[in-house]
Amino acid sequence: MKTLFDKLSNVLQRELTRIMAHPRYLIFATLGIAFSYVFFLTLMRDGQPQKLPIAIVDEDGSYLSRRLCHEIEATQGVHVARVYNSHEEARAAMQRQEIYAFLHIPHGTYNDVLAFKAPHIVLYANNAYLLSGTLSYKQLMTICNLAAGAVQREVLRKKGMGEEQIMGLIMPIEIDAHLVGNPMANYQSYLLTTILPGILGLMVILLTVFSIGIESREGTDREWLATAGNRMGVAMVGKLLPYACWFALLQLVGNLVLFGFCHFPMQGSYLTLAVCSILFVLAMMSAGVFFYGLIPQVTNAVCVSAFYGILAFSLSGFTYPVSGMARPLQALSVVFPLRQNYLVYVNEALFGLPLANSYVHLCILALFLLLPLLTNSRIKKQILSHENAA
Amino acid sequence: MKMLHNIKQFLEDLAEVCQAEWGRIFGNTGVLLIIFVAGVGYPLIFNGIYTQENLYDVPVAVVDDARCEESERFIHKMDATPEIEVRYEASSMAEAKRLMANRKVNGIIHFPSDYGERLARLETARVGVFCDMSSFLYYKSVFMGANFTMLDEMKQIEFTRYGLTGITGEQANTLVNPVGYDDVKLFVPGGGFTSFLIPALLILVIQQTLFFGVGMLGGTAREEGAELSAVPARLRRRHYDRVVLGRAMAYTVIYSALVAVDLFLIPRLFNLPHIAQVDQLALFLLPFLLSVCFLSISCASLFRHRESGIITLVFSSIILLFLSGFAWPQSSMPDFWRHFSYLFPSTHAVQGFVRMNSMGATLHEVSFEYLMLWALTLVYFVTACLSVGSGVRRCAHRHSYRRRVHDTV
Repeated sequence: MKTLFDKLSNVLQRELTRIMAHPRYLIFATLGIAFSYVFFLTLMRDGQPQKLPIAIVDEDGSYLSRRLCHEIEATQGVHVARVYNSHEEARAAMQRQEIYAFLHIPHGTYNDVLAFKAPHIVLYANNAYLLSGTLSYKQLMTICNLAAGAVQREVLRKKGMGEEQIMGLIMPIEIDAHLVGNPMANYQSYLLTTILPGILGLMVILLTVFSIGIESREGTDREWLATAGNRMGVAMVGKLLPYACWFALLQLVGNLVLFGFCHFPMQGSYLTLAVCSILFVLAMMSAGVFFYGLIPQVTNAVCVSAFYGILAFSLSGFTYPVSGMARPLQALSVVFPLRQNYLVYVNEALFGLPLANSYVHLCILALFLLLPLLTNSRIKKQILSHENAA
Repeated sequence: MKMLHNIKQFLEDLAEVCQAEWGRIFGNTGVLLIIFVAGVGYPLIFNGIYTQENLYDVPVAVVDDARCEESERFIHKMDATPEIEVRYEASSMAEAKRLMANRKVNGIIHFPSDYGERLARLETARVGVFCDMSSFLYYKSVFMGANFTMLDEMKQIEFTRYGLTGITGEQANTLVNPVGYDDVKLFVPGGGFTSFLIPALLILVIQQTLFFGVGMLGGTAREEGAELSAVPARLRRRHYDRVVLGRAMAYTVIYSALVAVDLFLIPRLFNLPHIAQVDQLALFLLPFLLSVCFLSISCASLFRHRESGIITLVFSSIILLFLSGFAWPQSSMPDFWRHFSYLFPSTHAVQGFVRMNSMGATLHEVSFEYLMLWALTLVYFVTACLSVGSGVRRCAHRHSYRRRVHDTV
């Protein structure tokens, strides 16, 4: 009578031999994950888009418009790509995507300023592109306010006021902005900390379903079960253990790259995040086993898992918050491990909260590990019942 | 006369390949699922998830250590902005931070105890704004809401202060607004997240389902050893271009229906931007569809298993979404990735589609994208012919080998 441990190690050895014989899938998955790290880290290497091209429609051609140009050039976020003579030209340039925003300085603006006629300049921003439009809008708005302040200052100086008095007059309130956990509003650390685990999770669930499903397609599933002494649980654990270890390791290395090598903000505990990463990988695997149990046909199960993995990006709520979604969707978001992973990330990296806050999310992830128990007997029955091809 | 005959033969060949291809498509459940269920289902699902353009009334907590008239006025004004709702009045920063940690609020506005005093002394008073950075949409709403309120308050305070220095009336007015500005948000005035994300996703759905539908056809044929069945016998030695064109015709006809639903009907149904002229947009989308068809035919032989196709599908969709330059602006992309992105029809199609449909650009303004799509169409047509040719030869070789083995036995 073999012990449970022997059986487990037999299945494990069998799986390792299978992986060695066909390493293609594991290699491709790993390369895919590595590629996405390189891709996203190089694509957004600036953290925030820099020097977004904008334009000025300068009908005034005055000291004021030249000075505004200089002010804009001094900022990091935007730069003046062109100076146009008419509104139509600038608008067409925007439609060609050459610029994201433009300032329209009408004829006679400076003269009106000197004559206290309160002229108006107009700020046009492209609202069809959320990120670049919003950023250039914000920058130009600041510049307009600064310009107004500069004119006020000059007038008041001529009236013989002191600097301190002037500051109080033109700047009665100032905002101290604290961007909690991400002081530079870095897009990279904001997006990648959820996208990259999401991609890894996707690979994990698809590979899990595939590696189980391929057994029954190739007619090796009875032998697999027999190696485990007809114990489905042992067969499952032994089979998935190599994948679990490998992907958990990849996820931990990924954390190291993001928070260590790339210095993404991290206020809390690395340990909690590491535990969360491992639980996340295991939860995605469990979900894969569960889906295969529900739909024991490899192509369909892969399709359903792919759908689940893609939906996870939306329902994790890292771009469009879950609180803005319909109620049923808010409830649904709980069943996506990526959502829990994201919430733990926010607790740890952004807020640096104690473990007590992340506890509940880690527990939910751990609950996913129970899912295969629901379907194991079903998978076993299916293996034993069908006509064995071999 | 000879030419007329040739043309007739050409058209007959096309029709035959096209019909054979329709037979393959409608006989393959997996492909039908990808094209029709995923092709229509995904756009509907994403529209179901992202129902709001912007976040309105983001909950914030205020910590008012000043307890003066000015701070209360600020709070009231802020509460009245569409961006922010003052949901809690916390007694201390610690309490407010606890509220934020428990996700009851997504921002904290703090008035230091000297807020009123500083204003009374005609100095600069400070307001602390703490933004929840877990989603940049929270950050945008809280920051904008507080900023607009501050600008409005500033004008009012400036006005009274000028009064104190003896500057009043019209003169004070012009001093407070020496250079006024109006801000105009062009193209999608109330726009936000939905009208920004969904158009890009729609284009991607078209490209990806077509690509993997065709890939799955190739994969199924391979698994069943029936790769040659779709190529009429007389076209197995030459005229691969007719095979490619015939197939592309079959896909284009089916996808014209899907494009009509996804790119023309859905934006109208869900009130997404749809200001492009229908004929112009259709003209723009023609090379997009053709280039995707040819690209798909070129790559169809790469898929061995249907499953590996699906895995590649989901992975590449995420990468292509970011390469299309709608989220991270093209102007800020490293050159390498920008040039790399030009290889995919989706990049040009997303740019052109968004600009025509959301920004009212005409073909003239998207001429770069349009030309690139035609260039890709040409290039991928050539690669498709090469791919079909080598596939047929490989297959024919295998068949003749089998026949020889059979004969000797």
